[in-house]
Amino acid sequence: MERVPYWNISFGLLIDLLSIPAMAIFVYGLYRHWKRIKQGRSRIRLGIPVSALKIGPLYVRSFLANGIVGTRIYKKLFTGIAHGCLLWGMIILTIGTTLVFLNVLFGLPVFKGDFNRWFMGATLDAAGVAALVGVLFLLMRRVFPPERLTIFKSNSAFITIEVVIAVIIVTGFLVEGVRIAQTGPDPGSFVGNALALLLVNVALPEIHRYLWWIHGLIAISLIAYIPYSPLVHLVLAPINAGLDTPVPGPKMGVIDFEAFEGEGEEVPSLGLSRLADFQWKNLLDASTCLQCGRCHEVCPAAQTGKSLSPKGVMVTLSEYLEQGKMEDDSVLEAISTDAIYSCTTCAACMEACPVSVNQPNAILGMRQHLLMERSEIPDIMGQAHRSLEARHHPFIGTGFGPNDWRKGLEVPIFEKGKTEYLLWIGCSVAYEERTQKITRAMVHILKTAGVSFGILEENRCTGDPAKQMGNEFLFTEIAGQNIEEFNELGVSSVITMCPHCFNSFTRHYPLLGAKFAVIPHAVFIRDLIDKGAIRLSKGTETICYHDPCYLGRHNKVLSEPRQIVDAVGQLVEMPRSGNESFCCGGGGGNYWTEEEGTRINQTRALEALDTEADTIATACPFCMLMLTDGLKKHTEEQKVKDIAELVSSRMEV
Amino acid sequence: MHIVVLAKVVPDYEVPSADFELVGNRAHPRYARMIGLYDENAVELGVQLKEKHAAGLTIVSYGLHEDVQFLRKAIAMGADKIVLVEGTSDDPYVIAANLKEAIDKQGEVDLVLAGRQSSDMDRGVVPGLLAGMLDYPFVPQACSVESVADGWKVAQITETGKRLMKLSGKGVLSITSVPENVPRIPAVKAIFAAKKKPVEKLPEIGARPMGVSEISVSIPKIESVCELIPAEDMDEAARTLFRRLKEERYL
Repeated sequence: MERVPYWNISFGLLIDLLSIPAMAIFVYGLYRHWKRIKQGRSRIRLGIPVSALKIGPLYVRSFLANGIVGTRIYKKLFTGIAHGCLLWGMIILTIGTTLVFLNVLFGLPVFKGDFNRWFMGATLDAAGVAALVGVLFLLMRRVFPPERLTIFKSNSAFITIEVVIAVIIVTGFLVEGVRIAQTGPDPGSFVGNALALLLVNVALPEIHRYLWWIHGLIAISLIAYIPYSPLVHLVLAPINAGLDTPVPGPKMGVIDFEAFEGEGEEVPSLGLSRLADFQWKNLLDASTCLQCGRCHEVCPAAQTGKSLSPKGVMVTLSEYLEQGKMEDDSVLEAISTDAIYSCTTCAACMEACPVSVNQPNAILGMRQHLLMERSEIPDIMGQAHRSLEARHHPFIGTGFGPNDWRKGLEVPIFEKGKTEYLLWIGCSVAYEERTQKITRAMVHILKTAGVSFGILEENRCTGDPAKQMGNEFLFTEIAGQNIEEFNELGVSSVITMCPHCFNSFTRHYPLLGAKFAVIPHAVFIRDLIDKGAIRLSKGTETICYHDPCYLGRHNKVLSEPRQIVDAVGQLVEMPRSGNESFCCGGGGGNYWTEEEGTRINQTRALEALDTEADTIATACPFCMLMLTDGLKKHTEEQKVKDIAELVSSRMEV
Repeated sequence: MHIVVLAKVVPDYEVPSADFELVGNRAHPRYARMIGLYDENAVELGVQLKEKHAAGLTIVSYGLHEDVQFLRKAIAMGADKIVLVEGTSDDPYVIAANLKEAIDKQGEVDLVLAGRQSSDMDRGVVPGLLAGMLDYPFVPQACSVESVADGWKVAQITETGKRLMKLSGKGVLSITSVPENVPRIPAVKAIFAAKKKPVEKLPEIGARPMGVSEISVSIPKIESVCELIPAEDMDEAARTLFRRLKEERYL
């Protein structure tokens, strides 16, 4: 017998009619979010040019992968599966309910044949079971939460919502069971049929009627309630993910200071100090954040006892936003200067975030305000900053001049029109004795391979540390000088040894007018090996590779260094590697910080040591210095080497 | 209240000795130039006094026209204007006489601050000479100052601690570095504003030089001798090292 919709129900169409005000409340709730979010102003930033498929402002790939499929959710397997079961189960159930409406309103033949058996019966029941299992798992996670869910704020509204969803699903099954007990089995409805057997003696039409209305009214109410609850992430998360450019990392852009030099132009408040200064994407991030704490769990600062928690930052922003405190500049104090400067800009929080929140962008924006408007910076970082400002390098108290690294070494100077590659030295591989060996190894490799390369006569920094410390103005000045010199010299291809230089050259310099190609030394050396320009003797030593955040997570150069390590020895992976790598602690200017509590570099060095590899390799001079220092706590062995050093020592002449 | 801070633009005072080279008996021009280390402490203290007492703050310098771009940092930190006496003498007496002339032209001045010594020549005599010429009392190695009735209360750093003094009327203080006067990083708006602040340039006056002439300038040669300390463990190594340092009278 064909199923009769609204069986045993009088005026069932009232549910359809009630869905209209429910949807109106739903839309109004979303409008309130939009009104809050659009208050963010973005006046002075330039965007990063991205070539990716877009529909309007939405990046299709980000929208589908991170917004719809929600790939990052599944990084926590059980939670991911539970979330997937609940989300997709509820979506399928909603489709089923919509089909019932369409059947009632337009006679759509959904209760006939195989479609009825396999979709309206079996699939919907399976979806209900999946959603119920999912929601019960998530409810248990809220009742017995891990630390990440409770730190800073426990979003208890989820418990209510999860109970409500569970009630909707259970009442749905009961309605089905009681109906089947009264009208006979439904093809494919395995849960309904089973329940009907259990309910056969209590399946009164009155019970069915009450349950039907309870089920329908709660479901309609939940829809209306979505925008006023954490469930709003159902709408905001896909949008937030779609608006996130596919370029990894914080995406700080640059500030156009020249605009302020125009006639009568007033310098606006720099950086972020009140919600009104934030970009609307920052406010969307704060609204979308689920406070799940995944970012807290991977944050090197948070995990080593610093005052920073990316979740804490988002919680604070979200509370200020909810309370409409757009002009309240106490938000920085609420987050704290210590916390803002503790960020190593490693972007692990972004990588972990299931809803594509860009925590570092907000944190660095606030850091920009502290430095450029209030001149607030931790002491040692301040000294490095002053050195950078006066000497164009931040290595305070160095015992080396800019050319000491090449004493006794013939290094060609870049010649306009003659030299192909500029070997960019920068600061980190010039002013520290240990890292000078990286530069010398790189010169050895390039010479052996017969590469046409040269260095600048006057060595200086890219300005990246200034940018990371929050001084966009100083960065722009240094970058401007570098770009001018590159243009005069006709530099078209640059090789970098520091991922921070690489990141700055590729992310920020083009926005200031630079037009040159940049190759990180890991990629260049790998290419030399592939082309046979250098030949290596593979050894038996085991080598674990530490991914520098600015090379790996920020720029996705993950396989090339590993190929190099594999060419000289036996690659060993640390538990946290690749995109999930743990920071060395030196990023964001924190190389010049006296850390309190557990030191990040010691934590990471121990992880590397625990692999029992003979050598610890990396591809960033800052990582090299931090890990070398961190290792001293655990061993006296000098185990850290740059990939250039490994290659240089293994080259067959 | 009007405060004058003396500031000198010097070659990078942190150039490692191994990298240091001379041209014409002076630091190679390739080194970055900047306001002297202690002069920046004096500027910071001056700015703090300005903020506290709504004082006027003038930077007075003796040097080259090109120094103005570096002196602007003092303006960005909070000073009101720059007065530059253009001259090239290294003679402390000539420098002090020119600075006095410039200060006299500023009208009423209540306090003159200077770095305890310049970061290039390290002599530390100009503030004292200037105080003599101005007929003001001079307090060297000051670290903090506050305005009191008819004068200033000054804290001076001595070898063994800190000494508090009362200075009647006007004075010249040479400032040493303490955590409280670490120079601030100028806010960007202040850097922009500093570009528009006035710079007064004065010609050098003829002054009698001291009866001292330079015969030669040389860079001390640094020789390092490496000696490995034989020891079984770190404790023994530390003890041996300590004994050797005492034997060699380094400790």
